[in-house]
Amino acid sequence: MLGSEVTFDVALPKVVWGWLVSTNMWAKSIATGSFLLGLYFIKKYPEKDAFFRKWVPILGLIFIGITLLVTVLDLHHMFRFWKIFVFAHFTSAVTLGAWVVSGFVVVLLISFWSWITGNKKLFDKVMIPGFLLAFFSTIYTAGIMGEATARELWVFPAEMIQMLLSATLAGSAVYLLIMTIYKVEMEEVKRELGYILIGSAFLSGMMYLGEILFARMHSEFSHRAVEILTFGSLAPMFWLGVFLTFIIPTILVGIANEKKKYEYALLGSISALIGLWFVKHSWLLAPQMLPLS
Amino acid sequence: MKLGFLVDLSRCMGCMACAVSCKAENDVPLHSWRLRVKYIDQGEFPEVKRHFVPLRCNHCENAPCERICPVSALHYLPNGIVNVDHNRCIGCASCMMACPYNAIYIDPITNSADKCTYCAHRIEVGMMPACVVACPTHANIFGDLDDPESEISKYLKEHKDIMVRKPELNTKPKHFYVRGSTVDLDPLSSERPEGYTLFTEVKFLDHIGGH
Ligand code: SF4
Ligand code: SF4
Repeated sequence: MLGSEVTFDVALPKVVWGWLVSTNMWAKSIATGSFLLGLYFIKKYPEKDAFFRKWVPILGLIFIGITLLVTVLDLHHMFRFWKIFVFAHFTSAVTLGAWVVSGFVVVLLISFWSWITGNKKLFDKVMIPGFLLAFFSTIYTAGIMGEATARELWVFPAEMIQMLLSATLAGSAVYLLIMTIYKVEMEEVKRELGYILIGSAFLSGMMYLGEILFARMHSEFSHRAVEILTFGSLAPMFWLGVFLTFIIPTILVGIANEKKKYEYALLGSISALIGLWFVKHSWLLAPQMLPLS
Repeated sequence: MKLGFLVDLSRCMGCMACAVSCKAENDVPLHSWRLRVKYIDQGEFPEVKRHFVPLRCNHCENAPCERICPVSALHYLPNGIVNVDHNRCIGCASCMMACPYNAIYIDPITNSADKCTYCAHRIEVGMMPACVVACPTHANIFGDLDDPESEISKYLKEHKDIMVRKPELNTKPKHFYVRGSTVDLDPLSSERPEGYTLFTEVKFLDHIGGH
């Protein structure tokens, strides 16, 4: 007996979680990354904190707003989203995420109010809970991926670190972008942001390559998903993402830091932000390309 | 009580009576399914064999769909059935990401998740699931796994070649197959060429039910 072939079956949906979910993860990386890095710079350079006290709430609210919008739009019953609070099922990382992000939104609103009123102390009071909420808002998606038993590529521990690195990468990129556009003169801060961006890009890129090249695959399923991602139909999107997120920004931001030409950092940041979406999207789609039954 | 299913694959002749009766009983819309029979052809002429595999929710004891559902729309009944509450479901499709068996669909009419419930509404009034009644060869064997006298328990005791789908995932399915093979139960063991084959188009749908 030789090979076998499916000759009759019911057509099933291929991609169930599509671009809305990728956009959710992408926007959340920017919102949480800009918050976490903002806190760091406020603490480190208290004399130059006005920039971050302004942009932490603005960026946070815009991008967490996008995250929440696409999340609700992706629900087949979008007007039932409130049920997640009243019928909360706490074994679900989706539920935990909804609660944590809601807490993060409250912190962002407080930081916004503190910036409007100039009441710095108010924001200082919520910095520690804000840090925790931003941190957990970043990583809870990795928890969802870990619970998505059917999609074995979304390995939990690696995903968690990837989410954190995406946040620092996106956060530093978006600050560099704004600083260059608004010609903010804070050389030291820009250099440090550049190093954070390069470091995050390098580590994240290495982790992806490590997972693809060296990780022991749990199953044939994850092995095939990696094949689709690296050589199959998703390869152009994935490698374009890798190039834009990890390679181009490392070069351009490196030049910016060396030669103090921050226009290069602007281009590097744009490239990182666009590339990050492609990487997230292809990683999300790959295991959905395979038949489960 | 722990209800379970067993399919004797040597008895299944691919007539689809189970799939049709399930559709009728549960109002399953077009291009959605709670139970379907997959055909797999193996070998090269004249050495060929056709496999028929009824696929439905396994009512896992350790169900990832139940764990991930943020609103407990998927929940256990005391008899072990993994049931679904359409009115509570918010349609996040997390369960579709978690179920390793592709047993859940979003109903395009109610926009809620749905799947095989072992006909929980019929069980409640002492009836058998619709597919069991419809099967002309009695390939579907349904009953209480906790009762050593039930037909399913006896079957499980008598047969050595008991299989479940993807046992490595530790979902503890309560749906068994006997007289099957890897070709029957492993989705990656067979090619799935897109295009017209037997009576239908074998393909994936990019999206159904909205998004
Ligand atoms: S087969 Fe899928 S839908 Fe059914 S109980 Fe198991 S995980 Fe849930
Ligand atoms: S789609 Fe419905 S049943 Fe499935 S996890 Fe979401 S809320 Fe639960």
